[in-house]
Amino acid sequence: MKFRSERDSLVEALATAGRAVGGRGSSSAVLSGLLLVCEGNRLVATGTDLDLTIRVEQEVIGIDDGSCVVPARLSADIVRSLEPGAVTVEGAEEKIEISAARSHFGLRAFSVVEFPTMTEPEGTTVDLPGPGLAEGLRQVVRAASNDDARPLLTGVLMTNEKGAIRLVATDSYRLALRDLEGTGGLPEGEEILVPARALAELQRLSSSAGSGEGEGPPTVAMVTGPHEVTFTHGAVRISTRLLDGSYPDYRQLIPDHYPNRLHLGKESLLGALRRVRLLVRDNTTPVRLSMRAGGVDLTVVSQEVGDASETVDGDFTGDELVIAFNPTYLIDGVEAVLGDEVIVETADAGKPATVHGAENDNFRYLLMPVRVS
Amino acid sequence: MCPTPRDSVGCASVGDRAIVPGSEIRADDALVPSILHVDMDAFFAAVEVLDQPELSGKPVIVGGTGNRGVVASCTYEARAFGVRSAMPTLQARQLCPHAVFVDGHFSRYSEMSRRLHAVLRDVTPLVEPIGLDEAFLDVTGARRLLGGPEQIGHEIRGRVRDELSLGCSVGVGRSKMVAKLASRAAKPVADRAGTRPGVGVYVVGPSEELGFLHPMAVQALWGVGPATTRRLNDLGIRTIGELADVGEDTVIRHFGRSQGRHLAALARGHDPDPVVPDRAAKSIGHEETFRSDIAQMAPLQRHVIRMAESVATTLRENQLAGRTVTVKVKFADFSMVTRSHTVSFALDTAAAMVAVSGALLDAIDVSEGVRLLGVSISGLQANGQAEQLAFSLHRDGQASGDRSGQEGGTENAPEDREVRAACLQTSWQEVSAAVDGIRSRFGRSSVGMAAMVGDQGIEVPGRREAPWGPSADQPED
Repeated sequence: MKFRSERDSLVEALATAGRAVGGRGSSSAVLSGLLLVCEGNRLVATGTDLDLTIRVEQEVIGIDDGSCVVPARLSADIVRSLEPGAVTVEGAEEKIEISAARSHFGLRAFSVVEFPTMTEPEGTTVDLPGPGLAEGLRQVVRAASNDDARPLLTGVLMTNEKGAIRLVATDSYRLALRDLEGTGGLPEGEEILVPARALAELQRLSSSAGSGEGEGPPTVAMVTGPHEVTFTHGAVRISTRLLDGSYPDYRQLIPDHYPNRLHLGKESLLGALRRVRLLVRDNTTPVRLSMRAGGVDLTVVSQEVGDASETVDGDFTGDELVIAFNPTYLIDGVEAVLGDEVIVETADAGKPATVHGAENDNFRYLLMPVRVS
Repeated sequence: MCPTPRDSVGCASVGDRAIVPGSEIRADDALVPSILHVDMDAFFAAVEVLDQPELSGKPVIVGGTGNRGVVASCTYEARAFGVRSAMPTLQARQLCPHAVFVDGHFSRYSEMSRRLHAVLRDVTPLVEPIGLDEAFLDVTGARRLLGGPEQIGHEIRGRVRDELSLGCSVGVGRSKMVAKLASRAAKPVADRAGTRPGVGVYVVGPSEELGFLHPMAVQALWGVGPATTRRLNDLGIRTIGELADVGEDTVIRHFGRSQGRHLAALARGHDPDPVVPDRAAKSIGHEETFRSDIAQMAPLQRHVIRMAESVATTLRENQLAGRTVTVKVKFADFSMVTRSHTVSFALDTAAAMVAVSGALLDAIDVSEGVRLLGVSISGLQANGQAEQLAFSLHRDGQASGDRSGQEGGTENAPEDREVRAACLQTSWQEVSAAVDGIRSRFGRSSVGMAAMVGDQGIEVPGRREAPWGPSADQPED
């Protein structure tokens, strides 16, 4: 195998495919490598940890067809550090040579036959609007758990709601929910539970492509199989194993009515929260919100550090109350709201609050309070 | 206290204590920490001899006197025959058949321990107790008042002898590790030729440290257990000196950055661990050695319930809650497994504790027979602190009010276990408060879980069972 490529595009391909590699102490050495396959003028780089697979296609100047497995991180680091310009990669079963200008690297290769075989995605295909999906993922993925002891909660539920796809994630302390209007929904009312890690990669990819020169295609093709889902976005394909198990019944958590409603400017609330959070030294210190007519007072009292308070003006209807939250969780929710205004609805200091935007109803963020004695 | 050496003349006495002549220290000397390790000599056994003077001079072994017990402590006369703490009683009987075997009197040891620690706290408030019979003291700041560390060590030994009529040994060093090793060197020596008193106080000065440490075997270092010892030995490293010689880089290559650095530092005599008075408990646990091995899951699960209930009660008595539950099982052949699970919330109720520990035990193959079972909880935090509330995430179709009586049924996935424990923690909070209320009026065995009911009513762990095993005169069941 031998090809020539421009440095920057090769770095991009190696680094993107490399993001699937070595999330956890991988079981076999070959999984710390990337499979490079060159066919004509097309290079395909694939990285996998057996759960998540990222495959990138790239236009190159093909010289000899063939394949090899390169160490993922090292090869990306090497190519990134080269002088700008053309890079030549030549791979054999034992050794890979990377050269550019006057630099030359010879790397030991992994065995191609040991690299897991990748199958083409099979199943039903749905086209999703790229920008809308990226926005929804940004809003929802943050609420998923990263605690491996609770595997189901490390996933994002994709389900159907009123003919559109709904994304749901919770780590049991907060829950984010977004309806992607304009999508046709999943075929036959299927529900899938997708690891948040894969969706975070998808979000990263689709938002960076969107901000480019507009070359990124506007749709993401989603192919759902019985055990796997594959998202194809331009030249990149992300496949992930689906999580198995029935997701908790999140609907019963959403109150249908709230007695108290606080209406604030999003940026002024965020600014105040970020300021008072400066005093938080451990993740048990909450921010207290005293809600009253005319706005809310935020207070953080941090033992051995000091205290901070700030008032944010706004409209409040309901009974005055004091409720405490983990400030980071609250900031996560407020940040995820679209538009300039945010509404915080509460029942009492021990029940979940809801954060959502003022204009439309497609995003909700439920947050459990912190009980203070 | 005197803040600077400059004042040494001006404060010739503080309270009723006089500055000891000749004990003035140079300014640079004052920067070297002085740590004392005070360790009682054969504590439990010495208390027994004190209470029963006719035992004096005899090999006395305290522990589980039944065939399944272990030695908790023994006099130097017994050690001369090779008897050691933690040895099975059966083996001790073979080594020293003429020894006097005594069941422990735990409350008596606790009382003597309180008196010991009172003496130590009288010397300096910087006392870190380690168990009943040993403690670290940081006397760096007390030296000007009380004399050099060696002098303080002799004074402590004198007071313990006068006030408790017991012997202790004192090690002095720059760090806790060196002090602890030094106290071992100060101990009485016992062999077939008889028992000889030790030096009592053994001082390892900063310049003598490497000469003291380096001939010792690597397992003398803190945190070097059997597994690490084996790995070091495989590398041809047997003594602390050999470990120091191979250099930090090599150690890091074999043991990783964090453990490697730590080992290399210890081998050079650097142990940064300070003396911490009133160190908060890191874990709370309960373990029992059974009278006969148990190979069936059902009775073991009943024991787990009883122990978990006891641990949860202790948690609440101390206003604590914990996150990591550990189950320890020692098999008939003395091999041991521990299994832990960390939940995402702090728990302090018996039901939640039982849910987690029961599931942990369930995953252990007990068919070869269990000799010892233990349940403990760590990751402790003060209860009543700000607490992040969580959703109760039930599975579809599970009605929210109806959680009891759902044993079995669902598969035992970690997710289910976690959710169940979280639900139980919430729903049992009021039950626990009620149980605590009843017990505060009518005693600990007035109310308990059904699995705790035995022949003699509600069995509370800790009353009948000792950690070192049942005594010989208890009826076998």
